[in-house]
Amino acid sequence: VLAWLSSVGLFGSAVLAALSNVIFFKPRVTYGQPAIFQIGKPDDYPPGTRIARESERICIVREGNKLAAISTTCTHLGCSVAISDTGFACPCHGSRYDQDGVVTGGPAPKPLPWFKVTVAPNGEIEVDKNTQIPSGTYLTV
Amino acid sequence: MSTATEKPHGALETLRELPHNVWTSIFRNPLPSTDLERSSTSFTNFFLHIHPVKVHRNTLRPVYTLGLGLMSLFLFLILIVTGVLLMFYYVPSTTQAYDRMLDLRGTVAFGIFLRNMHRWSAHGMVGVVFLHLCRVFLTGAYKKPREFNWLIGVALLLVTLFMSFTGYLLPWDQLAFWAITVGTSIAAYAPFIGKDIQFLLLGDTSVGQEALLRFYVLHVAVLPAILTLLVAIHFWRIRKDGGLSRPEGSGVRDQGSGIGERYRKPIYGLQGFVRSSFTKLGNVSDESVFSWPNLLLAELFVFILTVSAILVVSLAFHAPLEQPVNVMHPPNPAKAPWYFLGLQEMVSYSAFWGGIGIPGLMVGLLALVPYIDRTPHGVGRWFARERLLANTIFLTLVTLNVIFIVIGTFFRGPNWTFVSPF
Repeated sequence: VLAWLSSVGLFGSAVLAALSNVIFFKPRVTYGQPAIFQIGKPDDYPPGTRIARESERICIVREGNKLAAISTTCTHLGCSVAISDTGFACPCHGSRYDQDGVVTGGPAPKPLPWFKVTVAPNGEIEVDKNTQIPSGTYLTV
Repeated sequence: MSTATEKPHGALETLRELPHNVWTSIFRNPLPSTDLERSSTSFTNFFLHIHPVKVHRNTLRPVYTLGLGLMSLFLFLILIVTGVLLMFYYVPSTTQAYDRMLDLRGTVAFGIFLRNMHRWSAHGMVGVVFLHLCRVFLTGAYKKPREFNWLIGVALLLVTLFMSFTGYLLPWDQLAFWAITVGTSIAAYAPFIGKDIQFLLLGDTSVGQEALLRFYVLHVAVLPAILTLLVAIHFWRIRKDGGLSRPEGSGVRDQGSGIGERYRKPIYGLQGFVRSSFTKLGNVSDESVFSWPNLLLAELFVFILTVSAILVVSLAFHAPLEQPVNVMHPPNPAKAPWYFLGLQEMVSYSAFWGGIGIPGLMVGLLALVPYIDRTPHGVGRWFARERLLANTIFLTLVTLNVIFIVIGTFFRGPNWTFVSPF
C-alpha cells in the first residue's frame, strides 16, 4: 500500500510539475504591441487610397465612405507583405494576394485576415487585431 | 648549523622537497615506462579515466572514424569557451543587442575574433555532427548493442540544431529577426499545439524582446546543459557497449564486431557487466593497445587539427552581420541559416509538409533505424556489401536534402523565384 501510495504521489507530482511548467512559461501579460489601437481620424485616409501602416502590420483600405483594415502579415510564415500593383506580395517565399487579400499564388494557405474596425467615441478609428471579420466587410464612415 | 643534515625533515628539507611533494600529490604516477604504469596512468587520472586502459587497435584507424565524433566534442568545447567570453559583453535586449555586436567589432579586444570563432565553430559543429551521423550509418555502427547510443546521437543532432537556431536570433540583425520569424512560424503549423508552441517559444505573438530573452536563456543555459548531459551519456554508452564499433581484426579470437557468439555469454570478471567480446582487463586481446599514449596522441592530433582549422577560418573570414532589425522590411529574399535552407525550400512548396510532416517523418525514421534494421551484418566496414540497400536509401535521402539546401542557398532570388547563380 505504501509503495502504491508513494508511486501515485510521485506520478502525481510529475504531472503537476509538467503542468506548472506550461503555466509558468505561458506569459500572462505580453509586453509587445497592443492588439487594440487607434490609428487616427477617417479623414486621414482619403477615398481611393490603400495605406500600409507598417509598424502595426496592417493596410487601411478606403473606398468611398467604406473603410477596412487588412493584415499585412503573410499567412504562410509571418513575413510582412508589401503592397503591389495587383494586391500584396510576400518577399520571403513568393506568396501573392489580390486587393482583398485572397491568395492568387505561392504557398500561402489562407487569405489575409480582415480586422474589426470601429470609430471610437473620440472620433478616431480603432482597430482590433484580436477580432477577425469576414473578408469584404467594410465600416461605413 | 648542521641541523638540516641531522634531521631529514627539517624546515629546509621540507622546503626543498615542497615542489616535488606537491607535484607527486597531484600526479600519482611518474611518466609511464611499463605496461602497469600505462594502465595506472589511465585509471588513476580523473580526466584520463574516461578512457579504457586499452583500446582495440582498429578503433584508432583514422580512415575508419575520421575523428568526427571527437571533432564535434572539440568544437563544442570551443563554443563553450568563446560563448562564455562573449557573454561578458552581450546584453539580450532589443535596444542594445545590435550595438553590442558593433562593440565586439570595434572596441572589445579580440571581440570580432571571438565572435568569428563562435560563429564558424557553430556552423562547423552542425556540419561535423551530421557527417558523424553519416559515418556511423555507413559503417553500420548503430547495430546491436549500440541502438540506444544511436538514439542519443539523433537527440544530440536535434539539440545541436536547436542550439544553433536559438543563437541565430541573438545578434538582432535583419538576418536573425526574419530567420526566427520564419522558423517559429513553421513550428506554428504543427497540428493542434502549433500555435501554443510558437507562443511559448516567443513569449508573445511576434518576435520581440520576450523572444530575444527566451532564446538567450535557452542558448546559454538550458540547451548547453542538456547537450552536456547527452554527451556524457553518449560517451558512457560507448564504454558500456563495448567500445567503438570497429573494422574486423585479423585476430583469431576477437571477431571485433561486439555482436558475435560470445556477446551472449558475458564474462563476470572484474568488469563483468561490460557487454562486449572485448574486455579491458584480464581477457586481453592481442589486438589491443594502451590508451596512453596511443589513443591520447590520436585525440591530441584531432584537437590540434580542429582548433587550427577554426583559428585559420576565423582569421580569414568575418562572421556576417546585417543591418539592424527593421520590423517593416523583410529582406528579399529572407533566408534561414544554410542548414535550414533545405527545410525552407520544402516549406516554399507546402508549409505543413515541408516544415513539419516530411522533417518529422525523416527524424522518426532516423531514430528508428537500429530498431528497423535488425540484421547483424556489415558492422565496422564502410559501404559493406551486405548493407547495400540500407546505405542506398540513406544516401538517397541525404543527397535529396543536400540538393534542397543547394537550391535554397544558390538558386533562390527575390520573391523566392528561381535564379541562376552563374
